[in-house]
Amino acid sequence: MKQLYYEVKKCLGCKSCEFACALTHSLTGELFKEINKEDPSLPRKKVLFSKGNNYPVSCRHCREPKCVDACMAGALTYDKEKGMVLHDESSCVGCWMCVMVCPYGAIRPNIKTKLPLRCDKCKDKDEPACVSACPTGAVIWKEEA
Amino acid sequence: MKQLVVIGNSAAGISAVEAIRKVDKTSKIIVISDEDYPSYYRCLISYYLAGQVREEKLLYRSESFYKENNIELRLNRKVMRVEPKRNRIILEDKSQLSYDSLLIATGASPKFPHLAGIKKRNVFGFRTIKDVKEIEKILPVAKNACILGGGLIGLKAAYALKKRNIEVKLIVKSKQVLSQMLDYKAAGFVQKKIEENGIELIFGQDAVEIIGDGELKAIKLDSGKVIGCSLVIVAKGVSPNTDLVKDTPINVREGIIANEFLQTNIPNIYTAGDVCEGFDLVLNAPSVNALWPIAVEQGRVAGQNMTGQGLKYQGSLGMNSLEFFGLAVVSLGIFKIKEDDPNFEEIKFLDEKQNIYKKLILKDNYLVGAVLVGDIRNSGVFLRLIRERINISSLKDKLLNENFGYPEIMDLVNQKENLYV
Ligand SMILES: Cc1cc2nc3c(=O)[nH]c(=O)nc-3n(C[C@H](O)[C@H](O)[C@H](O)COP(=O)(O)OP(=O)(O)OC[C@H]3O[C@@H](n4cnc5c(N)ncnc54)[C@H](O)[C@@H]3O)c2cc1C
Repeated sequence: MKQLYYEVKKCLGCKSCEFACALTHSLTGELFKEINKEDPSLPRKKVLFSKGNNYPVSCRHCREPKCVDACMAGALTYDKEKGMVLHDESSCVGCWMCVMVCPYGAIRPNIKTKLPLRCDKCKDKDEPACVSACPTGAVIWKEEA
Repeated sequence: MKQLVVIGNSAAGISAVEAIRKVDKTSKIIVISDEDYPSYYRCLISYYLAGQVREEKLLYRSESFYKENNIELRLNRKVMRVEPKRNRIILEDKSQLSYDSLLIATGASPKFPHLAGIKKRNVFGFRTIKDVKEIEKILPVAKNACILGGGLIGLKAAYALKKRNIEVKLIVKSKQVLSQMLDYKAAGFVQKKIEENGIELIFGQDAVEIIGDGELKAIKLDSGKVIGCSLVIVAKGVSPNTDLVKDTPINVREGIIANEFLQTNIPNIYTAGDVCEGFDLVLNAPSVNALWPIAVEQGRVAGQNMTGQGLKYQGSLGMNSLEFFGLAVVSLGIFKIKEDDPNFEEIKFLDEKQNIYKKLILKDNYLVGAVLVGDIRNSGVFLRLIRERINISSLKDKLLNENFGYPEIMDLVNQKENLYV
């Protein structure tokens, strides 16, 4: 199972990963259209700064996911084979229980769409968009240790 | 062959049988429920009533779940009494069922105050799919509704009815809504949203009588005011369904008392969910924390222990999250302290214009509670600081910063970091 890792020393905090994430998950898929929209697509990843380093934060697809337990609408399931927490948007009611219990603060609410923003490892692509977007190679896509 | 019996076919009960079947494929498992509906997402009934969730989406576990896991499900059967000495339960139809190990996951029921007229038709609780279906039936002829109680359930019911174009008045005894999870300031933001969306709030008054001969006509408040309505929903809290253990040696206070293994004082009887009085990590005392995620968590531990795994349950804490007309609100642990209580410290952020209010409550450098309105990012991180009892003296001035997040607590939590290399 592949997972996202981050070589923190290489991260410049340029937020290229955030942009790439937002863009990949946008309907238009085009940067200039997207930034001029009234409600642009939002990233599922955030780079946070702490004690001299930058840390990209996004859903880790925990093996014992608290969010799945907390989901009172049946919108979240853990897919063992894919090693992923799957989010079924059609079942989600936007109650934010998943946001409330995420131990990493990695799920953020999108108040407009009433859907949580969470990493889906760019589902149908070979690798998540943030990986190739990173100019320094700080985002690493590799088999879980 | 061992026989494991689970009373309650909802969050706690199902989570327990799933945990049991993970390790034990052979024991006979019987799940009993007095509802005649298959298991459903109870918290969604208000969304269903509002017309935002279709009935199919309510289903929690389908028939095939019980088949695949070799679980016998008995719906529409009420358990009247547990007889611990004989290791058996007695059902409403007087039949008996014996068990080697029993889980009581009977949940809770709405409290109905002793009011004249409370038994009238069209006065409802708001707990089951049955309640909601009956409410739905009268909607075509109902114009206005009164909801008694300003807690989460009352608000959700009010929202649903409003969405169905019913005129709604919410009668709240205290001075604010959500007095069990928010302080006065935070409640103000929610109230503003509610009123802006056309739901009327009446504070500081309580119903004293439900009026109408046969048919419901109005309710009378203690102020003397009479409000006409064709529908009343009683949402004045819930109480654990403990009747079935009354007059047995099983210890009950508010709920059925559980030890750290979620075992009652009778070793082969376990309890979990809304009926269970477990340990509250923040209050440092026994408490019933009636929440879906806690029911799932406790059910799992109880199930594991019914198969002899001897796992300790860490304890729970009061918390909740809600979204109301686009306003997100989270409450964790202690949400209100007495003014100027020297034992506590508060950190606050307020932006009235943006409808953002955040308050953290600390005790001796430990986070013990939080109220977050309008900006609920990081609530899971705060929850973790509370749960893991992390000393945050080094973090105090950062907690409400724009850039605060997990990386700031990474070195303090009980877990080795492995994604950041
Ligand atoms: C409208 C609404 C909104 C909610 N919103 C939230 C929310 O936002 N967040 C949250 O965390 N929680 C919420 N809750 C609470 C949540 O639904 C409960 O915490 C959860 O359902 C508890 O699960 P449980 O398995 O312990 O009990 P329950 O779901 O109550 O199930 C117990 C079952 O046992 C059955 N039973 C009881 N006695 C007997 C008997 N003697 N014999 C046979 N069967 C019996 C009951 O009929 C019931 O089917 C909400 C509840 C409601 C009603």
